[in-house]
Amino acid sequence: MRLALIPLLLELVLTGCGSSRDAAAADRRALVVAFGADEFPLTTNRERLGRYPLNAGICEPLVRLTRDFMVAPALAVRWERHEPGAVRFILQSGVTFSNGAPVDARAVAYTLAQVARTRTDFSFLADSSVRVVDDTTLDVRPARMNRRLVEQLVHQIYDILAPGSDPARQPVCTGPFRLIDYVAHNRLVVIRNDRYRGERAKLDTIIFRFIPDETTRTLALRSGEVDVIFDVGRANASALERVPDLRVVTALPGAVMVMYMNLNGAAPYNQLRDSSLRRAVAMAIDRTTLVQKVLGGASAALVATINPPSVLGAYASLVQGVPYDPQAATRALQGRRRSLTLIANPSSIDRATVEYVQAQLAQVGIDVAVEQLDAAAFESRLNSGAFDLDLELPSQNDANPAFLLALRWYSRSSTRSVAFTHASPRFDALVERALAATTDEDARRAAAEAMHQLVDVEVGAVPLAGVSRVYAMNQRVRGFVPHPSRLNQDWSSVWVAR
Amino acid sequence: MIGSGWLARRLAGAVVVWLLVSFLAFSLGTLAPGDPAHIMLLRRTGDQPSEVEVQQLRHQLGLDRPFVVRYAGWLSAATRGDFGESYRTGQPVFSELRTRFPATLALALVALAVGLIIAVPLAVVSAAARDSLLDHGARLVALVGVSMPSYWLAYMLMLLFAVQLGLLPVSGAGGVRHLVLPALTLGLGSAASVTRMLRATLLDELGEDYVRTARAKGLSALLVLTRHALRNALNPVVTVSALRFGRLLGEAVIVETVFAWPGIGRWMVESIYDRDYPAIQGFVLYIATVFVVLNVAVDLSYRALDPRVRLDSPVARRR
Repeated sequence: MRLALIPLLLELVLTGCGSSRDAAAADRRALVVAFGADEFPLTTNRERLGRYPLNAGICEPLVRLTRDFMVAPALAVRWERHEPGAVRFILQSGVTFSNGAPVDARAVAYTLAQVARTRTDFSFLADSSVRVVDDTTLDVRPARMNRRLVEQLVHQIYDILAPGSDPARQPVCTGPFRLIDYVAHNRLVVIRNDRYRGERAKLDTIIFRFIPDETTRTLALRSGEVDVIFDVGRANASALERVPDLRVVTALPGAVMVMYMNLNGAAPYNQLRDSSLRRAVAMAIDRTTLVQKVLGGASAALVATINPPSVLGAYASLVQGVPYDPQAATRALQGRRRSLTLIANPSSIDRATVEYVQAQLAQVGIDVAVEQLDAAAFESRLNSGAFDLDLELPSQNDANPAFLLALRWYSRSSTRSVAFTHASPRFDALVERALAATTDEDARRAAAEAMHQLVDVEVGAVPLAGVSRVYAMNQRVRGFVPHPSRLNQDWSSVWVAR
Repeated sequence: MIGSGWLARRLAGAVVVWLLVSFLAFSLGTLAPGDPAHIMLLRRTGDQPSEVEVQQLRHQLGLDRPFVVRYAGWLSAATRGDFGESYRTGQPVFSELRTRFPATLALALVALAVGLIIAVPLAVVSAAARDSLLDHGARLVALVGVSMPSYWLAYMLMLLFAVQLGLLPVSGAGGVRHLVLPALTLGLGSAASVTRMLRATLLDELGEDYVRTARAKGLSALLVLTRHALRNALNPVVTVSALRFGRLLGEAVIVETVFAWPGIGRWMVESIYDRDYPAIQGFVLYIATVFVVLNVAVDLSYRALDPRVRLDSPVARRR
């Protein structure tokens, strides 16, 4: 009798367990997307729920970033320089937030004033920066002259929120989706916003799940528990490419791996004040092999620029990069072995890359001590100047061609580490020209010239490789067009084939 | 009855240990590099704060007061469940602990139960059939279990139960189904070590005179093993299980990360990486409190398991 109960119990257990495949397949107008760790609860991101660092398509800025890093209309249909230092934006009329409230100039003024209060923007906005002209017209004048304002406003921190909505719990915006559920460290759920001003989203629901471990995300995709996964590493990407029902999608490079140099450090971190040593370091690294063998080819590209080349348009060719020449590097050292300390951002640079750079430099006579640091220790070392070389992977998330230059090498930057990385007065002058340029064309040219000065002339930084975001998804997912900037990924065109 | 003298001494010892841990936890935050006010402002805005802002916040937080005064204030607040505010999230640390600890506790308790459910029968079979093929097999299983890294076991279980069979979810939280794989991952490692220890203790017990007497009285081998030897062998299992519980909390860090389980382990690791000292101090004190209480409970449980144990004697005797 007791034995007879065992199969019944087993069946009950299995029925209770159900099948995760069935659950995922239950509603094919719903998409389950696995993102990394949930960073919305962090103090800096708390008021950016559903926008940054995961853009769930809830909100929109005045202007958006195209895949070639140009500015395109979004809530603003056009904009023009109005008076010295001000930009006039004309809003699309008849647009409503997902709660039905109208989107007008006062709502934009409210949002930009909120951003100004957080002190986290680099656009010099202040409480009084916005002047409402009429319902659909407003002037924005930053507290300091900022001609790159429009290119910066594509960033998700400038998304327009309905006045009075709670950006930390229930942001109400104008995007193709609206937020319906958020459980910290577990999931964020959005549904289609039927009041969206443009073409309606094809999906009813997107469930973003937070799965910090990359291998777990991969297994969740293979089990059918999720449909799309973010940030696939090299090893998992090549394994997933062999699975028949899955495909790997790679965006154009949206970030460049850069080797920063301590140009102004105090002893013992002052060796790279010597420009011949800097040039020897740059000449010692075979970037082609780094891209093809170490970084895996498909998700990396050879670049000479500090940010994705398309940001500079045709002017990218002004930056050549220091060519690989180990013999010349050895000669430049004049037979003296040198010892340098390298730190690397642990969240974006893997061990293989660090070891490759170390081996390349050793071949020409530069011994590199690599320090394994966690995020806080890395930040501390960077800000105190206790390094010679620093590997990082900064992303380009706006259309400002001088963004990274002004942030990390411009002597007037508010970034603490710039005390150790700032370049020459000539470079500063070029950056200022780029920041003050009145046309996109002039800004791109000036930024390219500044980059040429930094990379080719002063060798103050070495661009190592362009790096792309890699996604994997099951074959039923259609309409996914990867954006080089993860923050600007659009989900409204995505649908799931039955 | 439990001796009141013993209980008083045991509780006094527990309080001393707790105070010592609290002092070390607080010192950690004070001696560690970096100004808490500076870190807090940096995390809050993502921007470098000015010296004036830092000084204002230092005064506001009482960081300009002497060490002893600050420690006394912190300890007094901690006893009321106020561990301060997390630098990373801006939330009260106690509230974060209270939100996350139940998930870790549930995981650790289920894993412990899974471990015991597997370990006890395996050890009994192994001891009863000493040096047989069954015994060697059970020992091999235990050895493999002890040697297996938990993250590798986690991936193997995911591959089998989620990818191949499609029975269980790979990760996340939301019900009993989500608990199965992480608990199994932790429990299997725990089962392996308890099996090895219990088998050895059982074999010792089976060589004792009272076992020979029981057999001479005509009791079956199964009864002798389960009713006499096993009961006497359980005391060390209780001790090891309590210690295992502590280890499970530690191992939960990896398992919680792999399975995206919203417990305290992952939160702690992130706090350490981010030098979130209020969170680290709060965690250390919270866990220390759990351990101190658990240890006292384990000592008390000896008496319940074996009435011959006299807890007020200088050396607690088993028989």
